Amino acid sequence: MDSWNGILQGFSVALTPTNLLYVFLGVLIGTVIGVLPGLGPTASIALLLPITYTLEPVTAIILLAGIYYGSMYGGTITSVLLRLPGEAASVVTTFDGYQMAKQGRAGPALGIAAIGSYIGGTVSVIGMILLAPPLADLAVSFGPPEYVALTILGILLVTYLGTGSVLKSLCMAALGLLLATVGLDPITGTARFTFGEVALFNGLDFVAVAMGLFGVGEIIHSLERTEKVQAVTSKIKGIWPTRKDFRDSSGAIGRGSLLGFVIGVLPGGGGVVSSLASYAMEKRRAKDPSRFGKGAIEGVAGPETANNASSTSAFIPLLTLGIPPNVVLALIFGALAQQNIVAGPQLIQDEPEIFWGVIASMVIGNMMLLALNIPLVGIFIQMLRVRAGILAAFALLVTMAGVFSVNNSAFDMWVVLVFGIIGWLMKKTGFEPGPLVLAFVLGSILERAFRQSMLLSGGDLDIFVTRPISGGMFAFMALIIIVSAITSRRRKAVFGRVDPADVDETDESSPDADRQVAAEGSPGADSTTDEPSGSTSTTPGER
Amino acid sequence: MHGSTSASRAPTEGTADRGHRWRQLHRIAPLLLLAFGVAAVIGSRRLGLGELTAPGPGLWPFIVSLLLTGTAAVLVLIDPAEDYEPWTRGTVRIIAGLVSLGVFILLFQTFGFVVSAFLMLVLWLRVFGGETWRWTLGLAVGGTAVMYLLFVELLGVPFPDGLVDAVIGG
Repeated sequence: MDSWNGILQGFSVALTPTNLLYVFLGVLIGTVIGVLPGLGPTASIALLLPITYTLEPVTAIILLAGIYYGSMYGGTITSVLLRLPGEAASVVTTFDGYQMAKQGRAGPALGIAAIGSYIGGTVSVIGMILLAPPLADLAVSFGPPEYVALTILGILLVTYLGTGSVLKSLCMAALGLLLATVGLDPITGTARFTFGEVALFNGLDFVAVAMGLFGVGEIIHSLERTEKVQAVTSKIKGIWPTRKDFRDSSGAIGRGSLLGFVIGVLPGGGGVVSSLASYAMEKRRAKDPSRFGKGAIEGVAGPETANNASSTSAFIPLLTLGIPPNVVLALIFGALAQQNIVAGPQLIQDEPEIFWGVIASMVIGNMMLLALNIPLVGIFIQMLRVRAGILAAFALLVTMAGVFSVNNSAFDMWVVLVFGIIGWLMKKTGFEPGPLVLAFVLGSILERAFRQSMLLSGGDLDIFVTRPISGGMFAFMALIIIVSAITSRRRKAVFGRVDPADVDETDESSPDADRQVAAEGSPGADSTTDEPSGSTSTTPGER
Repeated sequence: MHGSTSASRAPTEGTADRGHRWRQLHRIAPLLLLAFGVAAVIGSRRLGLGELTAPGPGLWPFIVSLLLTGTAAVLVLIDPAEDYEPWTRGTVRIIAGLVSLGVFILLFQTFGFVVSAFLMLVLWLRVFGGETWRWTLGLAVGGTAVMYLLFVELLGVPFPDGLVDAVIGG
């Protein structure tokens, strides 16, 4: 089927009333959680996973995809107004966006971010339509060794492009791979690491693990923060940017679209990396780099465009190769797997309505987001009034009830609790949950491909390097390992050039963010001292 | 998360704790992982490694647990301490929160959804959220009702039979 017919089919899927409703719900939820600090896209998608099982597969991904790119728009709002990134990819926006807000230009900052995001998202969708089918055709010829190479590449890139220590990420990836082996061995049927527990024979439930690590872990971790952030009361004026603003930022939007698209396709890419890269690029290109960090509109337009472009193009490796390039996509991959749909090269052929339906829904979703963000930004700001304690209580209850509903099993609730504890401890000790979950999802694919390769080659490990594609990928991995040793220092230098206090939370959601605002005494923050009693939330400004 | 020991952290608390107490404590994480890795290595050997030509059920777990053990061992030695968050007084709240979740699951299994959900909302809103009693009770009653309608009536989730079901059913 050619792409044109595919797109038409996609729109016929995406424009059904149900799917339109779920695109809208997705982008709305995405924007809301983008605004709410502390609950990032990963946690929210993890929390909503059980609900997706009652939906058609295509509707489920349309919803989850909408949440993902919707959060890219929403995260901007708090970055600009409160210097408080609602999700990690918007950290960069705090540098110049908050400065613009201080100069009374919050409106144009939000406006250009929404417009840039729309353009970036649309460019990415077009790129996806052009690139995905040939990539899937290529991937159809992949054998087990190529899949071994591809999965390892994915895991490796996520560990290398993460924000913490590479070694710790690798360690977590190994743990994820190990946890994936719990249950019956797919080939021999031997029970592995089940300790006689029947509930473990099918392995640890992916949803329970993800909800524990990202949902409960995140919420529990946020309990330690007792500072509150006061809602913004001032009205946002003049959201539509001036002609000069457009002129200043058009180049940044164009470059951000392309850069974001390319980074999103790479395993390990996605929001944070692309927005950082775009910021660095704009600053380097600028005639007067000193303007950056003082309210340069390019510093908002470029990164915001890039993060949305990359969150769209990140679907390419998932839908064509079956390799989720980052954690959010790993969750979506898991959601599909639970519906017995294997994302991979066969998807375009076997389930064209899913593939094209999701693409078409992105076109629609981005338009909805533009419509939501430009006139309705004031309403979303009101969301900041929701108190963190209420949010946490309900999120926990939804998590627990939700995870029970997946398999109607109380055992999974204990799994959530245990992984919640692990997730919290990991946050405390600087281990990232991302590589763990990604490796957990990819673990069974990797093991099966590895064992098939061994059977294919008669136990000869050479098979991975002698076949051109897998050999090439392993060579590429070797290159990454070498290059990263050099660039890790340079990356620190890039971080160092901007205000170092700002880049502390390049984490999936930014739980420490309001603590930071409070510490610096920014005008938007109602800084209160640590009081474990939690009585601080009853300050009059909160009501 | 890795920068929270830097200047960005409010100097209100934790400075004393940060000094010596957790400097030794922070090694516990990689040590635990190391122990876990070694146990997994032994466990996968017991499963039977087989040969590369005919991999046994334990071969793959063996490979990945070696990777886990190796990385954990290196981390024990060279773990950068700066990405650890200090333990604060808030940690007590967290442990209380975790215990409350465990109690919730137990209550849920014995008394069903309505009672346990209501109690959990009350606890979390009042104690951890610091809401007033009026807000707490209102939100807890309303929240429990909405959740019950959503999960049981709308999604048809078969929660364990509880007190309310006994009353309605009886």
